[in-house]
Order: sequence, then C-alpha cells, then structure tokens
Amino acid sequence: MNPKTILIVEDELDMRIFLKTAMETSGYLPVLARNGDEGFQKARDILPDLILLDVMMPGEGGVTMYRQLKTDDGLRDIPVVMLSAVEEETYNHYIKMLNIQTKGPIPPPNAYVEKPPDPDVLLNVIRDLLA
Amino acid sequence: MEETVLLVDDEEDIREVLRFFLSEIGYSVLTAASGKKALEIVCSDHPPVVLCDIKMPEMNGIELLRKIKSESPDTEVIMITGHGDMALAVQCLQLDATDFITKPIEENVLEFALKRATERYDMRFRLREYTEKLEQLVEEKSRQLIDAERMAAIGETVAGLSHSIKNIAGGLKGGLFVLEKGLELDNREYLQQGWQLVRRNVDNIRNLSMDLLNYGKVGAAHFRRVDPNLPIREVFRLMTPRAEEQKIRLEMTLDQGLAPIVLDPDGIERCLLNLVTNALDACADYESQDGAHVVHIQSNKRATAGVVYRVLDTGPGIDDGVREQLFQNFFSTKGMRGTGIGLMMTRKIVELHGGDIRIESETGKGSCFIVRLPAEPPSMPSNSSPTP
Repeated sequence: MNPKTILIVEDELDMRIFLKTAMETSGYLPVLARNGDEGFQKARDILPDLILLDVMMPGEGGVTMYRQLKTDDGLRDIPVVMLSAVEEETYNHYIKMLNIQTKGPIPPPNAYVEKPPDPDVLLNVIRDLLA
Repeated sequence: MEETVLLVDDEEDIREVLRFFLSEIGYSVLTAASGKKALEIVCSDHPPVVLCDIKMPEMNGIELLRKIKSESPDTEVIMITGHGDMALAVQCLQLDATDFITKPIEENVLEFALKRATERYDMRFRLREYTEKLEQLVEEKSRQLIDAERMAAIGETVAGLSHSIKNIAGGLKGGLFVLEKGLELDNREYLQQGWQLVRRNVDNIRNLSMDLLNYGKVGAAHFRRVDPNLPIREVFRLMTPRAEEQKIRLEMTLDQGLAPIVLDPDGIERCLLNLVTNALDACADYESQDGAHVVHIQSNKRATAGVVYRVLDTGPGIDDGVREQLFQNFFSTKGMRGTGIGLMMTRKIVELHGGDIRIESETGKGSCFIVRLPAEPPSMPSNSSPTP
C-alpha cells in the first residue's frame, strides 16, 4: 500500500523540519510548502490525503489558503489540521468575526492543534482523521 | 449661622441706624468710619459682605471698592450711592461691585441686596469646595488608573514572555524529537537536523535572557557629553565581521561637524546595535533582485540641536500592518528566532533621551529606521530605579 501523503504548509524552518521528521518516521509521505500560495498550488498538484496548515503565517496566508481549499470542489474534502500558536477559542472567535464580514462562511477545520505541537498528540489526531 | 456684614460710612448716625436695622434682620455687624479702617477689617476678619457708602472723605467708596477687590476678590461689596447718580453706580458695577442701592435707603431693597450678596458668597464658597474635592477625586482616580495600567502592562509582559519561552521550549522539544528519531533509526540526516534545531533554540534562549538583562538596564542610563559618532563607530566595528559573514555590505557615513551632545553611550549603542542586527536579518532572509545587499548607517545634524541616526537596509521592507505593531512588547517578525524585545527596548532608550524613532519603508524597497535625539535629555534622569 502506498504511504498517505501529507502536505505541510509552514513558514518556520524549525517547525518544518520537526513536522517532516514526525510524518516520515510515522510512515507518511510529507510534502513541504513554505507559504499559502505554494501550499495551495501543491495541494492541487498532488491532492494530499491530509493537510497540516499553520494558520498564523505572515500576511494571513494560512486563513486565505484555508478559504481557497474550502471553496474548491476538488480540495474541499481533504481533512485539514490547523496549527496555531493562539488558543483554539481565540482562533474560533477570529473566524467568527471573519465570517461576519464575508459572504460564504467557512467551516471549522477538522482538527485544531496548538503550537508547538506535541508529536504524540499530533500523530494521534492525524491517525484518527485518516482512519 | 449668622452672616457678617462690614458697614462702612463716615457719618456716625447713619452707621447707627443701619447697624440697628442689620442686627434686627439677623446679621452680625462690624463697622468702620473710614476706608482705611475698613481695609484693615477686611484683611483681619474677612467679612463675606461689605456695605459701603460711596461719598467719604480721604479714601472714597470707589477707591475702597478697588482695594477690597484686589486684596480679597471674593468679598461681595454693595455700594450706597446718592439718588440719581447713575454714572457712579455703573462705575461701581464695572469695578465688580455686587450691587448698588440708592439713598434714601429702603429697608426691603437693602435686605434683598444683602441676601443676594451673601447667597452669592456662599455659592462661590461651595463651588470652590466642590471643585477642590473634584480635583482630589480626579487625582485619586487617575492614580488608581495608572496603577491598574501598570499591573496590566506587567501582565502583558509576563504573557509575552511566556509565549516566547513556550516557543523556544517547543523548538527544543522538536529538536529532541528529531534527534531521537536519528538515534533510533541510525539516520545521520535526522541527527544533524535535530542537532541544529536544538542549537538554534539554545541560541534563542540565550538571546532572550540577554535581551531581558539588557532591558533591565534601560532605566540605569549613564548620561554624559560625548561625540554622537562614538556609538555609531562602535556599532560599525562590532557588526562588520557579521555582515561579511552574511555577505552583506555594511557602510557608514558620518557627519564630521557634529557638536557633542548629552547621551547614554551604552544605551544608544544598544539601540543602534539592535537596528543594525534587524537590518542584517531582514537582508539575509530576502533574495534581492539586483544582487548584493547593503546596510547603511549614518549620522546627521538635526535641524534643531542634536543628532539624527539612520539605519537603511535593502531588505523586503515592512508593510503597514506590521509597522503599527513594530514597537509593541514582544512583537516579532522573526518567527522563532526573535524575542520581540529588541525594538521595544530601543524605543524605550530613545524616549529616555527625549528623542523619537520612526520608520520609512516601502514593501520591496527596504526600510529606513530614523532615530532623532535632542542635544540634552529633557530632564537629566537621576538613574534611581529601572521602570517596570
């Protein structure tokens, strides 16, 4: 069986190295992207099984990419794990405020993991979503 | 309480009649037969109301009114004028007399005028009391507010600090994870990457603690009169090797005609060091279109007395949103590398000098940080305690 592909969209080098290693050593095939544009392009090219997305990249890259994913017919069903340094509650509030301003509300991510992520917690979340 | 009235008239029988009447309607009465005597009583007894005849020998009523108003502006003065002497009456009001009544004196007119005068006096007295109380209240509340703000600032500082530490701890944990995998799988690449991750984050925690230590020193500035080019030369010397290492050209242009100014050389050196470090970091992360990066530091005379330092870079520039947050506590654009303390400290030092700092920047065209210092700090701080 082919390994599941995981797209990692993360602007910080340290975090990319850690996530790549964690995915590789758990039997997944990681693909790396450094920003939202690159991430969205790669998502279209490789159709990953799951996306790990840092939401707090500079210039709102994370949220914009998430919106693009959720409004794209071919990509909307790919599960997304949101990574962020802010608490989940704060993030949810942020999204709520964002939804008020825009036409189509965006659905919540499949999972939300606070940064820095604990490898075991993160891998459990991913395992559940891919099961 | 019985209100006191000072009655001033040179004619004894008029004094007697009026004293009798005033006592009858409930006033406590002081009398004076001359303007000179009246002034003495105003100064010693502070009667709220003076009733004063306008025609008196030596010091007349107008003159007395003027003197009372300059000695004791709150005293209400009622003038007694001759019948039909409108010009004098108007002059009295212009000199701030409360009222005037004409001879022959009608009892109810006098009673009414006195009542009005004492009420005015009381009202003014109470108003002043309220105002003073209000001022006290405002002062007290302001003090409480400042205390609360100070507490909030400490809370923010702690929150920002724990965020930085959490980030570094996360980086260390990530590094250890990658290292462990390297050991477990005998994978040299993991070992190397994990090792570097750990090393970077050890650097980060050292930077954070150094920054915090330096931040603590901000309050303890040592001001002296020096050549404003002294700190900039030192920064140039210190940073040149690092710039060479990063293949960035570091240039310096000094205004040689600068007069010595009063500053804290160590503090200003730390500011410029921060700005140059930021400039180098900005260039290192950014691939410029036309090849080589340049960081330029310069000093210039300020239009008023003092100095202007500029640190220019050819990095990516700073967009508006970031610019607004730049000097806030613990804000950093450097991801896990930045502590967010550098610019906060830089601003604090500059402000301690009575100077200001601003940024001119265009996305894609680099940034210019401008620090302006006056010839002398506003009030030479006594270096007592570092501010929280």
